[in-house]
Amino acid sequence: MPSRISSSQPSAGSGALSHVYIQHPCLRCDIPESSGLFYDDANRLLICTTSSQVFSWQTDPFDPVVPPSVDSISEGPILSIRFSLDKKAIAVQRSDCEIQFFHRETKQTLTHKCKAGSESILGFFWSDSPLCDLAVVKTSGMDLFACDSMLNLRLVETRKVNVNWYTYTHETRLVLLASGLQCKTISAFQVSNAGVVRLPKFEMIMTKSESNSKPILSSGDVHLVTVYGRIYCLQVDREAMLLHTYRFYRDAVVPQGSLPIYSSKLSVSVVDNVLLVHQIDAKVVIIYDIFVDSRAPVSAPLPLLWRGHQGSDTSSQATIKENENSESSTSNENVAMYEDAWTFLVPDLILDQTNKVLWRVNLDLEAISASSSDRTSLLDFLQRRKVEANKAKQLCLGIARAIILERRPATQVTQAIDVLVKAYSFSVKAGTYKETKNERTTATTPTVGASPDNERDRPSGSSIDEDVEMNLPSGSEENMICADEQQESQLSSAAISPDELYKFVFASVEETMVEEPEYLIAIITQFLRSISAEKLKVDLNIYVMTIRLLARSKRFAELSLFTTNKIIEPSKEVALQLLESGRQNLRIRKLGLDMLRQLSLHHDYITCLVQDGYYLEALRYAQKHKVTSVRSSLYLEAAFASNDLQHLAAILRVLTELIPGFKETTEYFTFHGLLNETSSSVAV
Amino acid sequence: MGMASMSSGSESLRLCVFDLRRGQNEGQELDKILFFYPPDQTFSTQLSVIGLSEGLITFTRLFSPEAACEVIEAERHSHVFYEAEPDIWMVMVVEKNKEIEAIWRVDALQRILKEVHSLFVMFHGSIRALLEKEPTGGLTRSHLYPFITDYLNDLFVGKKLQLPSFRETLKERGTVQMLTLARDAAIEVQSLVGVLDSCAGTVRCHSMILFHDLLVSTTLSPDDTVDVFTYSVMRLTRNAISSGTSSWSYLRKGSTLSQISSRSSSPQLLGSSDPSLPSGNGNNAGRVIRPLQHDKWSKGTDGFLVTDIWGRDATPTILLQQTQERVYLLTYQYKNLTLVLLVPDNAIVNGELDISFVKHQVIENASAKILKVEEKITKGWGGENAYHVSGYRYLIVDTDMEVSRASPPGKVATLAKETLLAQNKLRETVDTEKSRTKEEKDMEISIRAKNNAWVMARLTRGKELYMALEKASETLLDATDSVQSFSHKYCSGVFSMD
Repeated sequence: MPSRISSSQPSAGSGALSHVYIQHPCLRCDIPESSGLFYDDANRLLICTTSSQVFSWQTDPFDPVVPPSVDSISEGPILSIRFSLDKKAIAVQRSDCEIQFFHRETKQTLTHKCKAGSESILGFFWSDSPLCDLAVVKTSGMDLFACDSMLNLRLVETRKVNVNWYTYTHETRLVLLASGLQCKTISAFQVSNAGVVRLPKFEMIMTKSESNSKPILSSGDVHLVTVYGRIYCLQVDREAMLLHTYRFYRDAVVPQGSLPIYSSKLSVSVVDNVLLVHQIDAKVVIIYDIFVDSRAPVSAPLPLLWRGHQGSDTSSQATIKENENSESSTSNENVAMYEDAWTFLVPDLILDQTNKVLWRVNLDLEAISASSSDRTSLLDFLQRRKVEANKAKQLCLGIARAIILERRPATQVTQAIDVLVKAYSFSVKAGTYKETKNERTTATTPTVGASPDNERDRPSGSSIDEDVEMNLPSGSEENMICADEQQESQLSSAAISPDELYKFVFASVEETMVEEPEYLIAIITQFLRSISAEKLKVDLNIYVMTIRLLARSKRFAELSLFTTNKIIEPSKEVALQLLESGRQNLRIRKLGLDMLRQLSLHHDYITCLVQDGYYLEALRYAQKHKVTSVRSSLYLEAAFASNDLQHLAAILRVLTELIPGFKETTEYFTFHGLLNETSSSVAV
Repeated sequence: MGMASMSSGSESLRLCVFDLRRGQNEGQELDKILFFYPPDQTFSTQLSVIGLSEGLITFTRLFSPEAACEVIEAERHSHVFYEAEPDIWMVMVVEKNKEIEAIWRVDALQRILKEVHSLFVMFHGSIRALLEKEPTGGLTRSHLYPFITDYLNDLFVGKKLQLPSFRETLKERGTVQMLTLARDAAIEVQSLVGVLDSCAGTVRCHSMILFHDLLVSTTLSPDDTVDVFTYSVMRLTRNAISSGTSSWSYLRKGSTLSQISSRSSSPQLLGSSDPSLPSGNGNNAGRVIRPLQHDKWSKGTDGFLVTDIWGRDATPTILLQQTQERVYLLTYQYKNLTLVLLVPDNAIVNGELDISFVKHQVIENASAKILKVEEKITKGWGGENAYHVSGYRYLIVDTDMEVSRASPPGKVATLAKETLLAQNKLRETVDTEKSRTKEEKDMEISIRAKNNAWVMARLTRGKELYMALEKASETLLDATDSVQSFSHKYCSGVFSMD
């Protein structure tokens, strides 16, 4: 699939085929006289600065019309800016040796400086680790500070490493410090609420070429991503045109193979645990679902799509800001895909620095499912989607129905059903099924931090006021590297319960499959197998339906095996269906009768026995089980119809014993009279 | 053991098949004889046996046109009648030996005739159809002779022919013995059946699965199931192929019968023993197929069973009773699992080429499931004595499904002779009662035998339970309670009527 890449694709309009799109309206951050755009990934804040003001927009949840909050800070250069995790303070890197802190309420200000000349500050980020609140990465290593409400910094730990550049994402709590001539020796630390975990040093893979025997790794070529709660590092190897993947474990960094790339400029996004690799030169995006071992893309490379308004009333909702650039809503040419000024923000945002707009990247599940031919892997893929769980679920149901209606080979359908049942079983065990918390909850403690993007990390050097004493606590290293747990706790799931499968798939196709029940039976059998393997329960209607289908195709041998082996679990409904289907086949009717008896449904059992002409047996059974609810005339009429006066007399006597006061009923009089009349006439 | 043995001499057993519509003119009497055993009897002997039988049939038909006689008990012989097809009769004449073992139930003998006929029809089609195809009767005779002889071979132990005696009273020929499955195993089995069904493309195949000599699943009607099951257990299952291993199924008795087979196995020999009949492979296809020949099946390298009975590389076909369609019979074996796949002949257009395609499909699509099913079943399998219930010797027959289950033969053998004789007698009484009133009746009979054992019969709506209890001190009440609790535990309360 990757070989079919078409690099000449123009930026796509609304009609083009695409699996990934950005959608109007975007978030506009076009503040007059703005001097810089920043992204605080810990708080998911888009920050626009002017000489004395800080505008910040909450980007999660993504809401294009959210108003910015405004803070005032003193004038000065801004290299990077991050809000503290509790959002009470703003930290601004002023130069390569100075960071300024502003308290948003008390307006208190504090300046942190490092030793000028000997080292320079590369950047900083806020942390929710119990050990420290702020980490400052310098060319000489990383300093961890505790910070009190008065903004007093206290150095708690220093990690000495020569650092050329670093990258950090709050999502992973992972900081990578690059050193060495080629910048490919990586020291990694996880500064999480479990403390500071140091990972073994490792080397990134850099392929040498004749022209460049010592290629240098830049920070922009390294991406930290979180998918399915696992942390990966993706590294561009331009010489080899490969994207190497590494997975971080608590005590190891393990290479996970490589993905081919088709562009020297590359970036990544993660949407709903799906990895999107933007091949910027080729202007296409390739989708990977790295849940499974397979490194095959989910679908063919296609351009990123820009989508305009959905529905006519959107324009009325347009904000004032939108008027400034209203042509973007009328023609898509204005949104040039993969412009140079695009910055990809963690995890799923694109900042267009030229137009000062922020887009969110979306997956088009419908388009993906329309273009994927491998239904099993597609279902597998859709079942893992959480952001648009309901859409994924509807698509899955549609696919399940379609493959049955298309009469795909039973093995294929079986695999598909297995996927759905397993996914449901998993989600039940994981407790995610049916929960409808759609909101993704972010870290509640706001921090100011540097975005991992390349622009943010320029080195700066200056002296620092070492007013904080040096502490070297022994960092506990047994903590697990795990992703932001809040990320995973969001929870509606695309899982489909067996009952829903019955209702929306099997029952809905039954009508159209009525002429060829064989195929449907095969599918349902596999479905039952799948259910049983996962030890799940299923709506008894599926059993009723199975009986109906087997009887319709005259497969009575199997029907009786299904019943006697309890594949069809006994219930009153099942028994009644057996009786109904047994109109064509006495053996099946008997199975229904037996089931009624075994379920101790005395009343139904007796009624059926009488209907089948076994009125003596029925009465005997009634006598034994003291069942008086059956109309006594039922026995009497049956006996009278069979013209057996002896039986009639016997029944009258038994009923007299069985039912108190029977002798006073009209039935007694009627049949007693009939008996006397007939017997006397016989005698005469 | 367990059989009334008799010498294979001329007197002990005679079995004939004749057609009342043939040879009605003087001088043409021989025409009506389709089969006679032993084959070395003179025509006059043959004619006298058949003539007597014919006379009895004609006579009894005067009183009961629908059902003529079933049995005639003479002083020294019993004549057992079975009208296999309209006007085609099978008669078995057995000597009432002085040996006490020669006590049998007529119904059990009749079931032998029924079984051999059903099997014959399954392979060769009905006798009437054969006669119509070739009116001289030569074709029919050349098929019947080797077929019935091969069948009778199974009843020989050494040189002695053994008919089912009273010792086999807790067995029912012509029924299927089933394996009880746990639900999850049953689902796996049905899932496998679903795959087998579709192995020939769009045309649905029938299939039957056996484990050891027990039925696991079938998609056939009860009658067809019985026939295919019977043949499978006789010739196809692992036990049947590796003959000589211990056999615990009544269907396979004599496994060492070299003596008899060599005497009567070749059709040429049979044909030549009666010069007036056309030689066995005289007219048509040139060769008479003998599906019941011994030691002819073996397991091929691909897991499918092979045989040269139908010629080299030829796949047998059988006729299904219910649908009257002809199907190819493919048998796949994996460990103790035997899978019989029946492929409708309209799915096979290019002969063996299509057959090998189907085989390929089975291996391709079903192998994994077969492995899984075998594993599951083996795990849950309780062994030969799985269905033994201590203290009870029983036989349960479901006449609707043509299924039976009984105490293991080894356990039945521990019963005293008096008990077995009493049970046999009781069964005979029930048989008579059943044939008198054709509709299903509830019946309860408990009899105390001479040795104080209880023999009981319970019949309710198509289900029958026969039971022998040998605890002498027990009262009738105790015995009835025992039946009750057995019924509750093992028959889901079917026989629990008070």
